[in-house]
Amino acid sequence: LDSIDLFRGRQATHGGEISMNDILDRALNTAQLGGASYTEARAVSSRSQLIEVRNREVNALQENASLGLGVRVIVDGAWGFAASAESSLADAEACARLACRVARASARFRRGPVALAPLEPSTARYETPTRVDPFEVPLADKIALLVEATGIMEREPNIKVALGTMQFWEDRKHFASSEGARIEQRIVHSGAGIAAWAAGNDDLQVRSYPTSFGGQYEAIGWELVDRLDLKGHAAETAATANALLTAPVCPSGDATIILDGSQMSLQIHESCGHPAELDRALGHEANYAGTSFLTPDLLGNLRYGSEHVSIVADATAPRGLGTFGFDDEGVPGQKVDLVRNGRFVGYLTSRETAAALGLPSNGTMRAESWGHIPLIRMTNINLEPGRWTLDQLIADTEDGIHMITNRSWSIDDRRFNFQFGTEVGYEIKHGKRGRLLKNCTYTGITPEFWNKCDAVCDASDWEIWGTPNCGKGQPSQTMRTAQGASSARFRNVQVGVGYGS
Amino acid sequence: VSTPENAPTLATASATGPPLTREEAQLVVREALSQSAAEQTEAILEARRESLTRFANNEIHQNVTSVNHTLTLRVRVGRRSGMATTNRLDSSGLRQVADRALAIARLSPEDPHLPDLASPASYRELDAWVAATAASTPEERAAAVGPVMAAAAKRNLNAAGALTALASALAVGNTRGVFAYQPETYSQFTCTVRSENSSGWVDRHRRDVRALEAETLGAIAIEKAERSRGPGATEPGRYTVVLEPSAVAELVGMLVFLGLGAQAHQEGRSFMAGRMGERITGERVTIGDDAWDPRAFGRPFDVEGTPRRAVPLIANGVARGVVYDRRTAKKDGVESTGHAVAPPATEGPLPYSLVLGSGDRSLEQLIASTERGILVTRFWYNRVVDVKKTLVTGMTRDGTFVIENGRLTRGLRNLRFNQSVLETLENAEGWGAAAEPTVFDYVGNAVVAPALKVRDFRFTGVSPF
Repeated sequence: LDSIDLFRGRQATHGGEISMNDILDRALNTAQLGGASYTEARAVSSRSQLIEVRNREVNALQENASLGLGVRVIVDGAWGFAASAESSLADAEACARLACRVARASARFRRGPVALAPLEPSTARYETPTRVDPFEVPLADKIALLVEATGIMEREPNIKVALGTMQFWEDRKHFASSEGARIEQRIVHSGAGIAAWAAGNDDLQVRSYPTSFGGQYEAIGWELVDRLDLKGHAAETAATANALLTAPVCPSGDATIILDGSQMSLQIHESCGHPAELDRALGHEANYAGTSFLTPDLLGNLRYGSEHVSIVADATAPRGLGTFGFDDEGVPGQKVDLVRNGRFVGYLTSRETAAALGLPSNGTMRAESWGHIPLIRMTNINLEPGRWTLDQLIADTEDGIHMITNRSWSIDDRRFNFQFGTEVGYEIKHGKRGRLLKNCTYTGITPEFWNKCDAVCDASDWEIWGTPNCGKGQPSQTMRTAQGASSARFRNVQVGVGYGS
Repeated sequence: VSTPENAPTLATASATGPPLTREEAQLVVREALSQSAAEQTEAILEARRESLTRFANNEIHQNVTSVNHTLTLRVRVGRRSGMATTNRLDSSGLRQVADRALAIARLSPEDPHLPDLASPASYRELDAWVAATAASTPEERAAAVGPVMAAAAKRNLNAAGALTALASALAVGNTRGVFAYQPETYSQFTCTVRSENSSGWVDRHRRDVRALEAETLGAIAIEKAERSRGPGATEPGRYTVVLEPSAVAELVGMLVFLGLGAQAHQEGRSFMAGRMGERITGERVTIGDDAWDPRAFGRPFDVEGTPRRAVPLIANGVARGVVYDRRTAKKDGVESTGHAVAPPATEGPLPYSLVLGSGDRSLEQLIASTERGILVTRFWYNRVVDVKKTLVTGMTRDGTFVIENGRLTRGLRNLRFNQSVLETLENAEGWGAAAEPTVFDYVGNAVVAPALKVRDFRFTGVSPF
């Protein structure tokens, strides 16, 4: 990792040479003097770039830079947090003092002191491996690529909006704790995709590539955009959007469905990732994101899915948006089981929640920015590949629907009752893929649904899909997570809900 | 007075006034505009001090204060424009962001729809500042939520929620001489109370934190949790429903992204595209964007410095209009209504202060007039299934009840709905008098809605709880 001196530029304007460590030390020392039994200080310098081209015109182009310090403390057994955009020694002191005051106010309304699972403090550096720094690629090249891709899509009849998007993020983090941790990280995320909206007689259809929500996102550099070949997929994307206008509507009833890897990714995110968050299971999110049907008494006991279902949380997986060296509590990124051969065996945890179960933290705490506290967030929630190729699975299916690319998603606050819609579907008849279908939806109850899984495709169909917009917490935070998956088959699933009577 | 070299920080700023005063904002904006070498430049400066005391399991588990400011510069060179954002307000930071915006403009293609910058205008006064909210302390917030937790614990119930106090200031300026400044406060109390098999909820949004009596509001959530203990199941199907104001706001708020902004309309994606002047829902339905409705958390201008106008969107069931920013207005040859959204604004202009016209019934009267139906406290995880049909799916949450012979008789397990928003409004048979604001993204997108009684509301699934 390059020497990250986040504050060099700023301090120069004040004529002093104050190191990052001085700022973090000042926060730690001030908090200790203020009565903190534990303190962590996190300075983050972030930058991001968003480019959106609609119909060959630049609709949005924004670069954002942000720098600040957040200090989280435990005083009298309660949490307090304060953060400031400025980063002088005076501000480090102000943050630490205010965090201690906030914690003291909390302490009057605690039922017991916060306890943290033990942790060996680390001194380390980590950097996302990238081949081409996305911030070094000329802006004109990025725009030209999206203008060309949207131009190809516009040639298709009935296309009202041809959309191309790129987003890049870089976070440089310095973390220090009163337990002695000193960690520097540079995390880089890249994303790109295209979409075509076709409008017909009172109908609007969308087709995206390689998936919805702006495309694919990975912890990687510009090489992702090269690999995606947006221009090469533009014509087919637009043609499918147009074809959807005249396609038959997905039938209603019970059906065998095969979900593609990207739809599986969101199915995993909503119905496994979120309910496996231990803060939700313990009620910490009851007022906002909700709780979980995976209550601690079910750990190790619940048959969550069929024997084909094994799901891990893996913060070490290459290219995943949930890949990092250390979480925002300084816990090393790791790979743990959530579901093993269908049985619910693990949670995503923090130091505080893990302690409640007598476990060590498995390192999933991440904050959106320097101005937010870390929360338990999905890392890379990966469904382990099975044994089928996609072609074999389709050939093995007598009558079914192949649903591809998420279009809508909704799930209740304990993560039982879900409904998803996909951009496209294909009939499967006698082992062959048939007609295109539009307005595909399916619904179910999480453990019943996962127990209907009778086949998972192999590594040739597996991808680690990025989710750039996961919301949680108060104040609300947005996090980038990933879910690895291949296509999978489910029997007797209710489909066509919403469009029937 | 601070200088840009020494913009107010957590260490130096007043903890009770706006996080950036008018004079400080003027200095920063003037300095930022002067750093720009472009032909024309706009500045958007926002400062926020946000405090939130959060509780769960009858104890305070998270408690935060965060102070930030962001400056966005948009510069123009001929028909090209570029934009960059920073939170560094010292001279070197301002110079860097101005240089970056200019570099982006030079690398960008010409924009045939680039509008003129706003000209200086007079802004109608809109008092959005409550000193008591800005001065809210962590001790006061803890003391406010404490009795709610105690009351829940006394009944063997479990309370979770949050009390927010936010003070912010928005300043907009440009090289044509525009300068607009607005200090705002916002507060919210939200609370979920759970028993072993039921829950209740309350949620209120006000400028003035003193208007949020947490203990009184918490009692509403406690009562709902108590009354819905041991919920039963009902079959999916069409039911008459009484929707509390929050549930109505959730549905009406979906229309914002389904096509009440000019960009979606121009692209043909809006549910109103090609239907302007036609009746699209019930004659009783009037929806407008009105920043000056005192409940609607409005702002007197937008981020382009255009004065905000009140805009009729649906009047007596007829599609009447959409909101504009300067770019979409130029395309349609009309004037901006002052609804530009903060960058990157990929969806174009959007309504900020949506108001659904109300009626003359109390919630109790709506329930009393219902022989057989379902009362919905709130909807949750609502998502668009079909844009043109305004078809939305979502779940009920935290207090769903059977209505029999005009009375709430028992709690119900949560239900999934698939329902068109316009059809819901068309099927409204009873309109509440009292409207409540719901703010979906802090200061920004507010929806003011009354309770409604609606026939033939379609539930398609049931949860196990």
